[in-house]
Amino acid sequence: MIDSLALAIVAPLLGAVVVTLFPRHAQRLGVAAAVVSAAAALAITAVVWTDGVLRSELGGWGVPLAITLQADGLSAALLGMASLVALSVSVYAGGYFSSPQDGERLADDSRSRHFWPLWLLLWSALNGLFLAGDLFNLYVTLELLGLSAAALGALTGSREAVEANLRYLLVGLLGSLFYLLGVALIYTAYGVLDIGLLAEVIAPGPVAATAMALMFGGLLLKAALFPMHFWLPPAHANAPAPVSAVLSALVVKAAFYLVLRLWLDLYGPITPLGAANLLGLLGAAAVLWGSWRALRAERLKLLAAYSTVAQMGYLFIGFPLIAATAAGPARDNLIAAIVLLALTHGFAKAGFFLAAGMVQKTAGHDRIDNLGGAAQGLPAAAFTIGLAGVALIGLPPSGTFIAKWILLEQSLILGLWWWVLVMMIGTLLAVGYVFRVLSRAFNREPTPYRFVNDARAEIPALLLGALSALVLGLAAQPLWTLLGQGVIG
Amino acid sequence: MTRFVSLVLLPLGLAAIGVVLIWTFYLAATGEAGARLADLALARVPETGVSNPVTSVLLNYRAYDTLLELAVLLAALLGIWSLGPAAPGFQRGGEILQGMVDWFVPLLILAAGYMLWVGAYAPGGAFQAGALLGSAGVMLALAGYPSAGLPSERLLRLLSILGILAFCLVGLVLMVLGLGFLTYPPELAKWLILLIETGATLAIGVTLAAAYLGGRPDHTSEVDAP
Repeated sequence: MIDSLALAIVAPLLGAVVVTLFPRHAQRLGVAAAVVSAAAALAITAVVWTDGVLRSELGGWGVPLAITLQADGLSAALLGMASLVALSVSVYAGGYFSSPQDGERLADDSRSRHFWPLWLLLWSALNGLFLAGDLFNLYVTLELLGLSAAALGALTGSREAVEANLRYLLVGLLGSLFYLLGVALIYTAYGVLDIGLLAEVIAPGPVAATAMALMFGGLLLKAALFPMHFWLPPAHANAPAPVSAVLSALVVKAAFYLVLRLWLDLYGPITPLGAANLLGLLGAAAVLWGSWRALRAERLKLLAAYSTVAQMGYLFIGFPLIAATAAGPARDNLIAAIVLLALTHGFAKAGFFLAAGMVQKTAGHDRIDNLGGAAQGLPAAAFTIGLAGVALIGLPPSGTFIAKWILLEQSLILGLWWWVLVMMIGTLLAVGYVFRVLSRAFNREPTPYRFVNDARAEIPALLLGALSALVLGLAAQPLWTLLGQGVIG
Repeated sequence: MTRFVSLVLLPLGLAAIGVVLIWTFYLAATGEAGARLADLALARVPETGVSNPVTSVLLNYRAYDTLLELAVLLAALLGIWSLGPAAPGFQRGGEILQGMVDWFVPLLILAAGYMLWVGAYAPGGAFQAGALLGSAGVMLALAGYPSAGLPSERLLRLLSILGILAFCLVGLVLMVLGLGFLTYPPELAKWLILLIETGATLAIGVTLAAAYLGGRPDHTSEVDAP
C-alpha cells in the first residue's frame, strides 16, 4: 500500500535531507528532488480528479487519535498549482544561482548551497499544509513554512533583505501563535483536533467566535491582508527572484487557502454575515491601496509585491459574496471563481517575478524608469511580464477574467454594487501599473534578434505566464470538475 | 495624544482582550464536551510500545507532527548557517572552569543517554536528551572551544539530519511493507521508537549546540575538538 499523500510530503523532505548531506551537488540533487516531488503531488491531483477525495489516517490509530491527511478538490487544485510553480522555480533556480554575475561566482555558489535545502523544506511544508486535516498539524506546517520562507528571503544577504525578513519572521511567528491560541481554545472546548470531527460538533457561541477571531487574525497576518500587509513588500521585493516568486505565488496563498478551508469546513455555517463583510472590507481596502502603491512603485519587484497585496484583496472580497449567497450552483460558482483567481495569480505572479529577476540580473538593477534597453533585450522576459500582466488585469482569456466576471455578476445579482465598484477601480489601476512596465519595453532601442536569451531562466517563466493568461481561462471547466470532489456541487 | 494611546488606550484594549480570552477559556473548559482525545489516548497507551504517555503521543499517535518539528529544527539551523560564518568564540577558560567542564561534559552526555532510555516509561525522551547534549556543547563553547565539541562539517551535517532520516526511512519501509506510513507493528513499536529517538537526540543535540555558535561551520577550525 503506497500512501500517496504521505509520499508527497516525504519526497521534498527527503530531498532536503539529501541536499543537506551533499552540499557540493546541491543543484543536481535539488532539481532531481524537485522532479520527484512535483510528480508525487501531481499524481494526487490526478487521482482526486478521477477517483474522488483521498484520505489517510497516519499511524493506524483511526480518528480522532491519528493525524489525518486529506486531499479533496480544493487541496488538489492548490497542490497542482503549487507543484507546477515549484517545479518551474526549481528549474529557474538551477540557472539563476549558477550563472556567473560580475565575477560573483563564489558568493552565488554558496547561496545555491543554502537555497536548495531550505527551499525543499518549504515545499514539504506547503504540501503538508495543503493536505493536513488536523488543526494542530496545520500549526506545525505553518511554523515550518514561515521559518524556511524567512530564511530564504534573507538569502541575498543585503541589509534590507535581512531586516525585512527578520520582520517577516517575527510577524509570521506572531501569526502562528495567534493561530495556536485559537486551536488551544477549540481543543479545550471540544477535545478533538480533526477538522472533519470538529465540523460535526462545533456550535455558535463565544468560544467558537473567539477561536475563529484568533485563528483568522493569525492567518490574515500571514496572508498579508490590508492593513497587515506592511511586512510583505520589503520582504518579497528584496529576496532573490526565485524566492520572491515562491513567497508571492505560494506562501501567502497557503495562508489564504487555510482561511478558505476553515471557513468552508468549520466556521462559515456558524458565523454571522458581519464577519464575512469585514473580510470583504479589508479585501477591498487591500485592492485599492495595493494597486495604488503598485502604480507608484519605482522598482519592478516592489511593484510586483504591492500587486500581490492587491490581488490577495480580491480573494477576500469573495467571502461576503459567498456568505450572502444561498447554497446552490451560484455559491459553488463563487467558490470555484475565487479558487480560480488564486490559481491564476499563483502562476502569473511567479512568472512575473521570475521574469523580473531575469531583467534585474541583466540590467543590474530593477528601476522601472531606466529599464528600456534591458527589457527590450530580453523579449521572452518582457513577453512573460506581458502575459502575467494580462492575468493580473483580468483581460480575456485569462483565468482572472472568468473569475472576476463571476464575482461581478453575483455582486450585481445580490445588489451589492460597492464590491463591483472596488473591483472596477482595482482593475483600472492594474491596467495602469502593468502598462507602465510594458511601455518601457517598447521604446526606440534597436530591435533584438533573439527571442530567448537564457532558456533555462526564461522558459519556465514564460510557461507560467502562458498558463495564467491563456490556459486557465480557456480551460477553466476542469477546475469545476476537480472541485466537485468534495468541495462544491 | 500618543501618550494617551500608549498609557490608557493600549493597556485597556489589551486588558479587554485578556478578559475575553479568560472568559472564553473558562466557558470552554467548563462546557459540555463529548469523548475527549486525552482519555482515549491514555486508554490505549499500552498498545503504543512505550508506557510513558507523553512519548506515546510524540512518537506514536502524533509521530508525524514530531517529524515536521524536527524539520523545523533543521530549517532553523540551515537558516542560521545561511546568514554567514559564526562570530569568533570566547577565549579559553581558566583552569577551574576547564576542570569543571572536563567533568561536566561527560556527565551531561551520560545523562543524555539515560534520558533517552528512560523516556519509554518515565518523563524523558529525545527532546530532553537532545537538550542535555546541546547544553554540553554550549558549555564547551563558553569554555573557549571554538567548535563547541562539534565534529567536522561533513559529520555535523549527517548528525543534524539523522532524526528526519530515521523517521522517514522507518515510515517509508513500513509503508512499503503494507502497514501504512509510520504505522508501527505493536511488537516492534518499542524498538522503532528507540531507533527514531536515538537519531532525533543526536540531531537535536548538535542542532542546539550549532545554533548557539550562531553561524556556518568554519572549515579552518576543525582541529580543536576535545
